[in-house]
Amino acid sequence: MNTPSQIAGTPLLEIRQLSLSFHPQKQLAIDRVSLKITAGSTLGLVGASGAGKSSIARAIMRLIKPDSGEILFKGKNIERMNAEELKSTRQHIQLVFQEPSASLSPRRTVEQTLLEPLQHFAIGDASYRQEKIREILHTVGLDRGALQRYPHQFSSGQQQRIAIARALVTNPDLLIADEAVSALDVSIQAQILQLIQMLQKDFGIAFLFVSHDLAVIRQIADDVAVMYRGQLLEQSTADQFFTEPAHPYSRTLLSFAQGKNPLNQLDDSWHLQRSHSSDGNTPACVFSAFCPDKKPVCERLEPPMHDIQFKNQHALGPHCVKCHLYDEVKTNVYRETKL
Amino acid sequence: MTRDTWQRLKSDRYGMSGFIVVTIFAIVALCVWAGLLGQGWSEVSGNRFESASARHWFGTNLLGQDILQRTLFGTATAFEVGLMVTVCSTLLGTILGGLAGWYSHGWLDEIILWLKGVLDSIPFYLFAAAVAFALQGSPWAMHLAMIITFWTTTARIIRGEVMRIKQREFIDAARAIGLPGILIVFRHVIPNTFHILLVQSTIVFVAAINTEVILSFLGLGIKNGVSWGLMLAESSQEVLAGHFGNFVAASTSLFLLLMGFNLLADALQDALETRGELN
Amino acid sequence: MSAPALRVNDLSVWFETGTGRVPVVDHISFNINAGDATGLVGESGCGKTMTAMAILGLLPATGVGVSCTGIEINGKDIHTLDGSRRRAVLGRDIAMIFQQPATALDPVFKIGQQISAVYRRHTNVNRQHARQAMLDALQSVGFKQAEDIAAAYPHQLSGGMRQLAMIAMATVCKPAVIIADEPTTALDSSTRELILHQLNRLQTLHQTAILFISHDLAVVRKSCRNVMVMYCGRLLEKTDCQSLFAHARHPYSAGLLSCIPQISDKRPAPISSIPGQIPAATDLPTGCHFAPRCNRVEDQCRTSIPQLDHENGGGAACFRPL
Repeated sequence: MNTPSQIAGTPLLEIRQLSLSFHPQKQLAIDRVSLKITAGSTLGLVGASGAGKSSIARAIMRLIKPDSGEILFKGKNIERMNAEELKSTRQHIQLVFQEPSASLSPRRTVEQTLLEPLQHFAIGDASYRQEKIREILHTVGLDRGALQRYPHQFSSGQQQRIAIARALVTNPDLLIADEAVSALDVSIQAQILQLIQMLQKDFGIAFLFVSHDLAVIRQIADDVAVMYRGQLLEQSTADQFFTEPAHPYSRTLLSFAQGKNPLNQLDDSWHLQRSHSSDGNTPACVFSAFCPDKKPVCERLEPPMHDIQFKNQHALGPHCVKCHLYDEVKTNVYRETKL
Repeated sequence: MTRDTWQRLKSDRYGMSGFIVVTIFAIVALCVWAGLLGQGWSEVSGNRFESASARHWFGTNLLGQDILQRTLFGTATAFEVGLMVTVCSTLLGTILGGLAGWYSHGWLDEIILWLKGVLDSIPFYLFAAAVAFALQGSPWAMHLAMIITFWTTTARIIRGEVMRIKQREFIDAARAIGLPGILIVFRHVIPNTFHILLVQSTIVFVAAINTEVILSFLGLGIKNGVSWGLMLAESSQEVLAGHFGNFVAASTSLFLLLMGFNLLADALQDALETRGELN
Repeated sequence: MSAPALRVNDLSVWFETGTGRVPVVDHISFNINAGDATGLVGESGCGKTMTAMAILGLLPATGVGVSCTGIEINGKDIHTLDGSRRRAVLGRDIAMIFQQPATALDPVFKIGQQISAVYRRHTNVNRQHARQAMLDALQSVGFKQAEDIAAAYPHQLSGGMRQLAMIAMATVCKPAVIIADEPTTALDSSTRELILHQLNRLQTLHQTAILFISHDLAVVRKSCRNVMVMYCGRLLEKTDCQSLFAHARHPYSAGLLSCIPQISDKRPAPISSIPGQIPAATDLPTGCHFAPRCNRVEDQCRTSIPQLDHENGGGAACFRPL
């Protein structure tokens, strides 16, 4: 399936310079992140745990309030919406969580859980709602016998299907999946990914897919955005990312994921010191402490986000990277440093 | 879910015996309310201090009233006090504790906690006496005094549970579609505390009956009717004169019912808690 | 030929419920030689962790039944050992590394204290010696500042560091066998690499036998020589890693391998999956447990149970292997 990842016109969801910190004076959980998701496309948001990916998902759903920045849905700023517009927006963005057993209310039947969004948003009448939930159950591959049962009576794969069904009843334009398959066994993960692929193809739903697993992202994403310590380091099409990622951190991630072990290049301390948050003198580039291609300027100056285009790649789509290595030449070829 | 719990309860011998005892007493109470038993509790049907006989199974008391009748009526009183206090204080405690937990560290929480603190620090029996006085000896004074003070324990427990549960993801899911807080608390959070509430209710029931016994001793107990507490109060004099009828009947009934409840409460706690185990 | 470091013979575990026995581990047998790592892979509920707990004797006394013809470490049977003798073996001859280092370490004790405690439990040395052994263990897992780590509490360390501390705790007495239960599942990719690297190093250094339990085939491939595939309490395939990944013989193993998403240059084809669900332990099919989901099923699969070929190292428990 080849959804064009740039469609002229307003993106479905746009985040501009979003910032959020959980503790003042400490590291920002989200640090001036800007993202765009076009209708019908899937953006994979990757990075190690703690990078801020889940925080972005929660900020979009207004489960946490950002300190600054804008979130625009279909061009309108969420902060400036009135109650009705906000309600309508909530209808069109839904969230699927990582732990299926934790995200379903244990004392409510599947029917009650599926009806709740329809009732809350006052969608349709009683008969429409009944039909809708049966239709959605069928879409996710469950039979209507499931309606009267409780979440704990299902396997985790089925529970995740129920969670996805709940997200689908309101006909959303965008589904945010926050590590939605990470807790599942491999064969069940495959089934859920198949379901997601079907939703992408047949229903044209856009996805913001948060995951630390690059292989899963490769399966379903059109575009990839890489986060590290709250900052966005690179955003490009998936094809570009998996062929030749630009940022050194992206390259490291991809190496690890492909099973190549660059440990002989990186010090053991790479892993151990990573957890020591440096609230002393913060280096200018957030990754500079561990970057194999570090230059002196990286510790002095924060790199701006550049738009780049590889010479040997035909324009596959917008590609931006936050790295000093791309300062000098506008369209350049990455200077090969063996990892 | 409840079927599972029931299965586990059934296999617990002590718990089941507790359950049976409580059920028997409950049936007696129902029969009294229905007018089938214990109706002759105030009737002077014999001589004073008759010993146990065919006509008076437990003998008679100081006034010649049949002790058995009074014991049966006392069962109804115990259940009436127990149920009323339990239902009302649990309801009050759940609502206030739920709100306090959901809006924890906010102004509502502060007020409720303050209220709880004040009520917890008042010596209970003085408070009961004060309420009885204020209500001019109304028969409901005792119930009211208990309800007003017992809700705090339930509230504290529920508040803690709500604070725990609201961290879970299905609450985020509800918030994510924009459901208002109060709705989430009472639709999604509180139902997940039922297992705790059930156990807590049995404990409150026991406490209510116990308290009534002591209040009756102090003369602050029930007004129309008889309770085991009242019988025990009466018996304090009688025992010195060698008449044990009242004492034995009342204290045995009390012991059996409270023991039954305790066993039931423990077994319920076990049966409800093994839900998340090796399965 | 000396005895294998770990030998498990015909181990079964079941739950005793009101309605009868629910099998969780069904007559499994395997050997691991000193210096070898064998992976035990399978999906949730297949019985992998129960196997580990049964070997260590950590299953609850009531409600669970265990039977086997022998569990031997270096030829000595440990299954028939009782109470205190069994406890003496734990930590000294066989140790376990758990999945969640956050909850497997006691939050109120410092790391150093916990590791020393294990060492002193099994040896009769004074504090000085124990402390030294503890620092050595921490250094051997890669901590450059062992003293600092020893003085820290678990919550002060990151997930990866806690896991390394756990490995130090497990290896301080230099046991012959280590059971690692999903040691890297809760960690992200870079930390995972480090943990596997250290585990591998220690294994070579002390010639420890490792039973590596995981649902992640890629991790097992990297760190184990042999692999066993478990499904619904039974071992379906037993072979060396290279063979499994080159050509899995059991349809379930093959299906599992094809489910794993891959990273590739081109957008990959839509992912395939194994149809159906894993059956509940209370509702297992007769014959081969995988029969209802297998695309190579034939009649005898539903009536008789295919066995592993123990003479020739295992192979696939299948009537129609690939």
